Amino acid sequence: MTTENPLIETRGLTRRFGVQLAVDSLNLSVPAAGVYGFLGPNGAGKTTAIRMLLGLIKPNAGEVFLFGQPLVANRYSLMRRVGALVETPSLYPHLTGRENLEVTRRLLGAARTLIDLALDTVGLTKDANRRVREYSLGMRQRLGLALALLNKPELLVLDEPTNGLDPAGIHEMRDLIRRLPRESGITVFLSSHLLSEVEQIASHIGIIHEGHLLFQGTLAELQAKQQTELTVGVKQLDEAIDCLERAGWTVQRRAGELLTVAARSSEDAVRINSLLVDHRLEVFHLALAQVSLEDIFLTLTRGQAAAARTA
Amino acid sequence: MMSLLRALHAELLKLKRTLAFRVIFVLPLLVALLQFFIVWRTKKFPASFDLWHTLGTNSLQIWAVFMMPLLIALETALLNGIEHSDRQWKHIFALPIPRHAVYVSKVVVAQVLIFISTLILSLLTIVVGIVAVHLRPELANAGPIPWGWFAKYTLLVWAAGWLIIAIHTWISTRWSGFPIPLGAGIGGTFFALFAASASVGKYYPWLLPMNLFIDGRFKAAIVLGIAGGIVATLAGCWEFVRRDVM
Repeated sequence: MTTENPLIETRGLTRRFGVQLAVDSLNLSVPAAGVYGFLGPNGAGKTTAIRMLLGLIKPNAGEVFLFGQPLVANRYSLMRRVGALVETPSLYPHLTGRENLEVTRRLLGAARTLIDLALDTVGLTKDANRRVREYSLGMRQRLGLALALLNKPELLVLDEPTNGLDPAGIHEMRDLIRRLPRESGITVFLSSHLLSEVEQIASHIGIIHEGHLLFQGTLAELQAKQQTELTVGVKQLDEAIDCLERAGWTVQRRAGELLTVAARSSEDAVRINSLLVDHRLEVFHLALAQVSLEDIFLTLTRGQAAAARTA
Repeated sequence: MMSLLRALHAELLKLKRTLAFRVIFVLPLLVALLQFFIVWRTKKFPASFDLWHTLGTNSLQIWAVFMMPLLIALETALLNGIEHSDRQWKHIFALPIPRHAVYVSKVVVAQVLIFISTLILSLLTIVVGIVAVHLRPELANAGPIPWGWFAKYTLLVWAAGWLIIAIHTWISTRWSGFPIPLGAGIGGTFFALFAASASVGKYYPWLLPMNLFIDGRFKAAIVLGIAGGIVATLAGCWEFVRRDVM
């Protein structure tokens, strides 16, 4: 993964809430351009990390650098280059969409023309003069994105931007996010608990679990961790496991009379089948499948949880 | 200074279509109507009756001891409630605007709204006086309207309320919803009724505007109201800029 001049860099970022360690020594390195997917199950520490990146909460230890400069000393100048949508959009329901943008524009001291530009980017021009309380959830989310884009940021931080949206809303939001780096050169830092969502738009991935960063790299590097596995149906399950393990295969027992073997190719499948049949074991099912990224994600996060329990 | 002006500019737009803006007209109207009914239903005015002084003092005392402290609690809860409702603080604090500018703008807007409301009360009280002169012939010799007296006490009652505004702004930025901000306002006003006769009442924040009308407390009310208001605003701001935004 490219670490030269990262747009976001954290060094040993740590935050506790009472006795609970929400983020533990987080070392993020987010390169410029593209979409960085910050993945983790609910409660993994994503939102806490994002709040520290934006200066909303203070870390107990560690430092945040944005555009190569420490956040603490340069917050106001750095925040001019950042747009953010943290969890649900912060909107004034009694005001129209345009008025909501005008409130933020006044706070920023930005040009009036930027409002039309932001509305156009998120496709809300037609509904700009309707009060926000009449907006659907998807429209509210798009207006939240417009607020984040208002000041033409170089870095866009989005925390679970598709949460609570229906499939059409998720599709719209995903398309918008995918377009931004391409059309405006914006770097997007996007958190999500859904790998399936992130893998469609992200070029880089960071996986966080229980406050620890488990993986950081390009999508290709994560995909390289993908393996194939062979599902075997066999009548004599215990003998089969014993036989395969003695031959050096990694085996896992599954529900029913099934087991899975870490196999790389169809040649491996042939070898495993021959081995079992030679031992007079009755094979009734053989299926070779690629392990999904979702499974890798689950393996990483569960493995971490198991390690923590045994520690 | 530019940041403060930007924050104030944004606050003005947020007030559009809100109860926070409407309520500043409603409460003075209630007090003025009460005054009108008192004048209207009084059977006989003594010959020495000083219409303008009586009317002005009555209106502003009801305002100072009861209506204004409650209006402050309500206004500050409404002004800051719109930031709690959709968790706007996290959006505002992620913008390149100093937090102290945001906090001071909240205090200034509350002060301006309370001033407008107090001014409306004084003007409506004068209208009640003019109507009374026309309705009751025995009040025809009430004399000219004491504009100077009304201007002075409108300003002083408002300025003595700065400390209450500062306290309530901090409370309503700290806690979302109405129970705690309004509870503090009702509690503060309720205990003011008891504190009025006690010596400690001279320093009791919710009683300071009323103390302007109590012998021996005039100067302390102004000094504590204004200086206390400024100090409490600075203290509230100090805590606000250090606050974690969840």
